[in-house]
Amino acid sequence: MNKKNVLVFLFIFSIICFQAQTFDTKNDWLGALKVGIRTQKTQKLYWENGFTVDFTFPKILNNRLHFGLSYVTTRLGSAIGTNAIQQDNYLLNVGYFFRNQKKLQPFTRLNTGYFYADYESEIFDKLPNTALLLSLDAGLSYKFKAPITIDLSAGFNLNTGSGSKGPGTLYPVFYQLSIYYTLLKKK
Amino acid sequence: MTIKNILFKSLVILSLFFSACTDSPNIDNLTMLDGDQIFDPSIYHPEKYLVSKAIPIPNATQKNTPVIIAVHGYSATTFEWDEFRTYSDANADILISQVLLGGHGRNYEQFKNATWRDWQDPIMIEYNALREKGYNNISFAGSSTACPLVLDMLQKGKIPNNGMAQIFLIDPIVIPSDKLLTLIGLVGPMLGYFEATNTTAENSYWYHFRPQETLNELMDLIDKVRKELQKGFKLPTGAQMKVYKSIKDDTADAVSAVLIFKGLKNSDGSDIDVEMINSALHVVTRLEGRDTIAQEDREIQKNVFDDMLMRVRQ
Repeated sequence: MNKKNVLVFLFIFSIICFQAQTFDTKNDWLGALKVGIRTQKTQKLYWENGFTVDFTFPKILNNRLHFGLSYVTTRLGSAIGTNAIQQDNYLLNVGYFFRNQKKLQPFTRLNTGYFYADYESEIFDKLPNTALLLSLDAGLSYKFKAPITIDLSAGFNLNTGSGSKGPGTLYPVFYQLSIYYTLLKKK
Repeated sequence: MTIKNILFKSLVILSLFFSACTDSPNIDNLTMLDGDQIFDPSIYHPEKYLVSKAIPIPNATQKNTPVIIAVHGYSATTFEWDEFRTYSDANADILISQVLLGGHGRNYEQFKNATWRDWQDPIMIEYNALREKGYNNISFAGSSTACPLVLDMLQKGKIPNNGMAQIFLIDPIVIPSDKLLTLIGLVGPMLGYFEATNTTAENSYWYHFRPQETLNELMDLIDKVRKELQKGFKLPTGAQMKVYKSIKDDTADAVSAVLIFKGLKNSDGSDIDVEMINSALHVVTRLEGRDTIAQEDREIQKNVFDDMLMRVRQ
């Protein structure tokens, strides 16, 4: 990861840390709400960075099922100051976390969403630049004593570009690191 | 689970892994380029393919005649540019050097053992030979993998200012259409080689079996060139580029043209020329050997050839 990426990360992370506090939620329906930053590296392609939110609900599989939203983009990664294609991934996910009372939790997730790549010039107007995202990933989550959680995972995009259809820079294998701050948590 | 069980399961997994590793494919020597019977004709008669060998001592007129160094793609041979030679012989007064990439046009083992730098060497050798002999109007035409090879040469500054007139890239590959190529380092050693879906005619001119080592080399090359384009570089002074790219291409993803357009600029900083072609063929300039050729394909081929010749004669 280049220097600029690291700086962007540190900046965003420090803002979250300074502004956020963990509150006990009075709502019965919400288990925890975590917000964080995510960095994603695609095998043989770009770094994409962005934001992520994660929810759990005590009434749904006793907080084992996690729901999330995330946005990662090369605009905050490989495309900063370079000629990398500017592309965005908007994702919704649902994941199952094992050992949910422990600090170290293996998990697996199903992700779906929308992909957009900006080719900038009208010469390339005929090329496909959007796609429905569909991917699976699995990894490990670690809860620290402080309200910080780190998720590491590897995933596979099921709907990659193929030359005849789909955006060409939608690659199959990706690796993710997410760092969450717990904003709200049920006692 | 007992240690005995763990050991037994590990042995089963290991034996499955090694049984999946296949060393050598079943090559038909009589019909396949991969064998020890069919070789690229430029190996036997270089003077028929290379201008530096055909006219080693050019006169003043010949020195000023445009020479196009035409280079084929991964696993192919000089055949890929035969149609352009035939067309230009009939329609223009130019010279063509059809360069055979290193490790290509011979047999499976030689292909397997060559690196992408070996593939690149003959291009520089012919270019330098032409320069030494005084040819001063040299252009380049590459198809598919020849394009990242020449882009890498340009990025490294191997072509001096005013050392190249025109550069034509036909269906350049920077992003592969088959995205599983990005996993070749993982699955390649398990499989050993991959089979191409060549037509019978193509089997004499293209390798049928693709050693995983060569696919690794291809991935290394395009990954390197993608990163070079990401940083950006310029053409040498005096050089002009035209990219011709099929919109639907099952080998070189069309987005390769986007990366070249964004990453490579003319020496004055202006945009290079890119033409997106409404075709589903990979390497629109080569039609012979294909199972079916539509009239549209012939028109596209002719248009590209005419455009190239017009630019070379400018």
